Formats: sequence, C-alpha cells, structure tokens
Amino acid sequence: MSDYTYDEKERFDGVTIKVLGPTYEEGKPEGGHDWKSGLDTREKALDYLRTALRYWYGAEGFGSEKRKKEA
Amino acid sequence: MADELIRSIDKATLEMLEKAEKEQVSTVFSRADQIKPCPIGVEESCCKICAMGPCRMPRSKKGEEKARMGVCGATVETVVARNFARKIAAGSASHSDHAREVTETFLKAAQGQAQGFTIKDEIKLFEVALDFGIEIEDRSVTDIAIELGQKALEEFGKQHGELTYIRKAPLKRQEIWKKQGVIPRGIDREVVEIMHRTHMGVDQDYVHILEQATRCALADGWGGSMISTDLQDIMFGTPVPVVGTINLGVLKEDEVNIVVHGHEPLLPELLVTASRDPEIKKLAEKAGAKGINLAGMCCSANEVLMRHGIPCAGNFLQQELALVTGAVELMTVDVQCQMQGLQDVAACFHTKLVSTSDRAKIQGATHMEFHPDTGLDTAKKILRLAIENFPNRRGPVQIPDHKEDIVAGFSHETINYLLGGLFRASYRPLNDNIVNGRIRGVAGVVGCNNVRTVHDSAHIAMIKELIKNDVLVLTTGCAAMACGKAGLLTPEAARAFAGEGLAEVCEAVGIPPVLHMGACVDNSRILVAASAMVKEGGLGDDLSDLPVAGAAPEWMSEKALAIGQYFVASGIFTVFGSPWPTLGSDKVTRHLFEEYEEIYKGTWAFEADPVKAAQRMIAHIDTKRKALGLEKARERVLFDMAMRRNLT
Repeated sequence: MSDYTYDEKERFDGVTIKVLGPTYEEGKPEGGHDWKSGLDTREKALDYLRTALRYWYGAEGFGSEKRKKEA
Repeated sequence: MADELIRSIDKATLEMLEKAEKEQVSTVFSRADQIKPCPIGVEESCCKICAMGPCRMPRSKKGEEKARMGVCGATVETVVARNFARKIAAGSASHSDHAREVTETFLKAAQGQAQGFTIKDEIKLFEVALDFGIEIEDRSVTDIAIELGQKALEEFGKQHGELTYIRKAPLKRQEIWKKQGVIPRGIDREVVEIMHRTHMGVDQDYVHILEQATRCALADGWGGSMISTDLQDIMFGTPVPVVGTINLGVLKEDEVNIVVHGHEPLLPELLVTASRDPEIKKLAEKAGAKGINLAGMCCSANEVLMRHGIPCAGNFLQQELALVTGAVELMTVDVQCQMQGLQDVAACFHTKLVSTSDRAKIQGATHMEFHPDTGLDTAKKILRLAIENFPNRRGPVQIPDHKEDIVAGFSHETINYLLGGLFRASYRPLNDNIVNGRIRGVAGVVGCNNVRTVHDSAHIAMIKELIKNDVLVLTTGCAAMACGKAGLLTPEAARAFAGEGLAEVCEAVGIPPVLHMGACVDNSRILVAASAMVKEGGLGDDLSDLPVAGAAPEWMSEKALAIGQYFVASGIFTVFGSPWPTLGSDKVTRHLFEEYEEIYKGTWAFEADPVKAAQRMIAHIDTKRKALGLEKARERVLFDMAMRRNLT
C-alpha cells in the first residue's frame, strides 16, 4: 500500500531488509469502545448474559459453586 | 495556612491554597487550623443521645482503670458502639436515599415521564431483570423496565424476607450471613432499626448493636448502592474505558466554566446533553466565550467522566479551590460532601452556587430544584445562568497549569470483557494470574480526602506500595481521583510503577495497574467483581478465601464507615487510616479488629501510616495465598500423556 511507511533494519545475518513501519494513527480515542454494540438483538443479548455472565445467569452453577445446593 | 504545614502532594492544590491565603479566602484548610478535633469526640466516647448529658467518658489515665459510665449507666462500650452504628446508619441512608432518587427517576423514565432520560443500556436492563426474577421473553423494554423500577422501589420499604441482591454473593457467604442472622430485610428498615436501638435506653449490648450495624451496612452495599449503580447504568450506559483529564487545569480561561459537584448523576447527565445544544453554544459565544466547559467535582465528576469523558476538576478537598481560580461561572451541588464554606468562597468571586436537590439547600446559594419531569429545562436554565455570568468575572483568572490524562470506566462487566473478549468473557485470566503469582492479589482502595492528613498523600503512598508489590488496585471516589492526578490511571503507569508480574499482565490486557471503577456508590461493583472471582473457581469458595484486602486511608465521611463495614461483613480485611472512631472502648475495638475474624472471616484494622497499612494488606494477601497453597509462583503446566502416567 502506498501510504505505508517502511524502515530499514538489519536482519540476524547482517542483511539489510525493509520492514513495515507503524500503522497506527497517533492521538487519543475520542470515546469509549462500546463493546456491547455487537449484541444488537435480544437473543444475542440473552446469550451473552448466559455465557459471559454465567456466574449468575448460566443454566448451571459455575466454578467453585458448580455442584452446591443453593444457599 | 501555617507555612510549615505540608497540605497536599498536588501542585494545583498548593498553588490555589497560596492564592486563597494571599486573598484571605477561608477554605477547609485554613478552618482546620482554627478548629482542633475534640479529643473525646475523636474516640467517640461522648454520649449526646439524651438531654441528661452530654456525658463525656475519656479513657482512664494509666493506673486509674476507672469504669466510666453515663448518667443513665450506659457503659463506654455501649456509647462507642451506638455512635459507630449511628454513623453507619447515616452512611447507609445517604447511599440509599441517593438510590431511591435514582429508582424513582428510573421508574418515571420507563413510564416516559422523565424529560431527557431513557433506557440506554438494554443488556444491563435484562441483566438486572434476571436478578429480580422478572420475565423477559418477548416483553417490551418498557414493560420490563417498569416492573424492574417497581420491584427495586419495593426493596426500600420491605419489612420481611431478604434483599434481592444478597443472592449475587457467593453461596458460602450467604450461608455465613444466614447463620449470623444479618441478612437485611429491607433497606429503610435497617436504618430505622439502628436509630431505634441507639435511642436512649434501648439496646445496651455492644455486640448486639454492632450486629444491627452489620445488617444495615449490608443493606447499603448489597442493596441501596447496588441498586443505584445498576439503574444508573441502565439509564446512562454501563461505563466502558474512556480517556479523560483531571485536575484544576481542566478549567478554561476563555470558556464558560460550569462545575457539577455532588453525587447524584441525574442532573449532570442532562447538563452534558444540554451543553451540546447548538442554541446554548451560540449563547455562550454571544457572551464572549469560546464555548462551554463542563467539568466535574467529587463523585458527580466520576459519573460523567466514566460515561462521557467529561473532565474532572478535582476531589473533595479541591471543591473550594476550583472557585478560588476565579474562573468558575457556576457550580451545581446536589447531595453529600459539599462544604457550606463554598458559598462564602463563591461570594469572594463572581461564581453562582446553585443547589439542585430537594434534600439540600445552602444559605446564600441559588436554589434551582431538579425534578425528572422537567429536568432538561432546568439543565438549560442553569447553563443560561452560567453564560450570563461569564462577563461578570472579577479580577484576573488564575488556573493552575496542572492536569493529567487518565483512563476511567472499568465496570465489572467491562473487566469481564477485557479479560476474555466478547465470546470468552471471564475472570479466568485474572484468577490464573493470581494462581501463577504474576498478580499477588487485589486491593480495593477507596474513600474520601481528610484535611487532617496531607491531601492525597496517603492514597498515593499506599497504592504505589501495593502495585509495586504486584497487587492490582481497584479504586473509586476521591481515592480514584487522587490516583488520576498522580498519573496512576494510564496503561503506561504499569511499567512505571507496578511490579514486574503485574506490569506484564497489565500490558498484555492493556489496562492500568489501578482501575477506576466509579463513584463511592459504585463500591458495589467491587463486591460483584470479587464475587465473580470466587465463582470462577480456583481461589476458594468464599470472598474471605480470596487474596484481597480493602482500605480507605483518608476517610472522613460516615458513608466510608458503612462501606468499610459491608466490606468486612463480606469477609474482606479492611484497613482505615485517619482517626479510628472506636478507640474510646478497647472492647468494641477488639470486637471489630479481632472477634469479627471468627464471625465474618473478615476484620477491620486501623493504621495511620499508609505504607505500613499497605504492608499489612500485603501480609494478609500472602496469608490467604498460603491458605490456598499459592505461596510460591507457579505456571500452568499442560500435562502430556507421559506426565499423566507418572501421576498414578
């Protein structure tokens, strides 16, 4: 790609090679990363709760409490 | 201000204190010089409960061993325990009344009667609905939200049974609470019962009084505070990491500066919305300003910072100093932690102080009451008042050139996501890194500022000691803001301040070594995060098994005591600095510091030196690691078949 920058570096065997320079944009993010935005249907949201927050909302208990009776 | 006293480790604070002294403006710092703490009151051995006293019961001099009692015969144990319990009642009432306001607004928002409010985070709505046993299926968001609002409101007035959120705690912890008979029945009931029991001539057994104090504190942490946090998340969005700036340097000379101070994020949220209104922006330009600069102070700051990246002007002890800059057109205050001295400072400059809650007025301040049904109109009115006040600045403005970048907004859900991604969200990586020793343990360092300590110094000394020793720190409230100002809330801080193991994990995940989890009401997030660590497995089956500790090195508010008491009753070793309010009675202190270990498997401790306090926390973490068999660092080993055969 034309707008990429390249640096020259020495390889382990002494040969000079071209390596891809930084590709990130400098600066600060303007907002928070809304990682929940992908969960755009109710089904996906509930699936997420049952898996990601399985400690409370999974069908079975989890980890240290898997086989214990409810308090 | 006496020259020899070091007041703060924060340069912006020192610069403004110098200006205040030069201009003879009274601040909390100068007033503290004029009023010494009462030596009997500081140990809480003074009873003012009936009109036969006050009865002062100072500790006996060495060799005297006097058994002191009040006019009614109340022992010093009873008096100290009553005072301690009353503080916890006040702290719990504050958080929970905040939660009530949020719940009522939430219900109105769900019913479409709250101007400018809506349900922003549907996933969190479903999450909390599941907690409350509300049917989701194909029901509309409005229906679910209305039922949730009603059920949440019922938690306050419940007379019997158990608070709903108690079930979020690990099962073993619930069993301990059940065995001790301290599961809260209803939020308001527990506060009222403390006030009744500590009335003249009622409960006269310090152990029994403190048992109710525990029930009340649990109603705060696993009740009021948790309701508040969750419903705010649903209305305003669950926080995600956001970049912000902190300290008095966020104020701008050429813009209309409005500082939102207090604790309830309801009006501040609408001020954020209204400040983006083109009409309001135009008005500001017409008044000669380049724009509107909204900044936060205290916990309102944490709320709008976490959700919108609104800059934070400072923590508790900086509230008057923000006005001393001469650059603040208007400061709004709602409830909790706002000093009455603010109005006198405001009067020295052009600043308008505006109180907005129906619960709190300040003499001399303008009162513009916030009501959810007309909230947005009130927000715009406040902004207009600030804009009109811009041309009234008196004298030169002096804004300290100090501000720091920070990353805030680590909700429990976001930590879960950051550790494992969307489809593998989990606390497993955290637990694994505790097991393998890269992370030694986790500490919750929270709480206020106290003018009797050097501003921010205890927070920073303690937290630097902890992260240097590979302890991941979770922080809220004014402690979080102290961390921000000291540069601890950026991912880069891991390499600069943390031990090798913690730094490695922080760099791998891309998080700071100190995680900003919100306002002081959001300590409930720490409880949920710790419960997730237990439930994930591998670190015992109760909160008291975890290598974790809590602290509030610069506490001053009654809310801090309520928070500490629910941390302790949840099984967490918790150390406080500043004065400790039961020193008037050795028996009460021993009960909290030693006997609680037997009852709740968590204890209080007091240590004024923050570094020594951190070392005690680390020693406690090490004890828990040893009990879990984790005293030595170990890597996870994937066994091949030959290794498996060798096992038998």
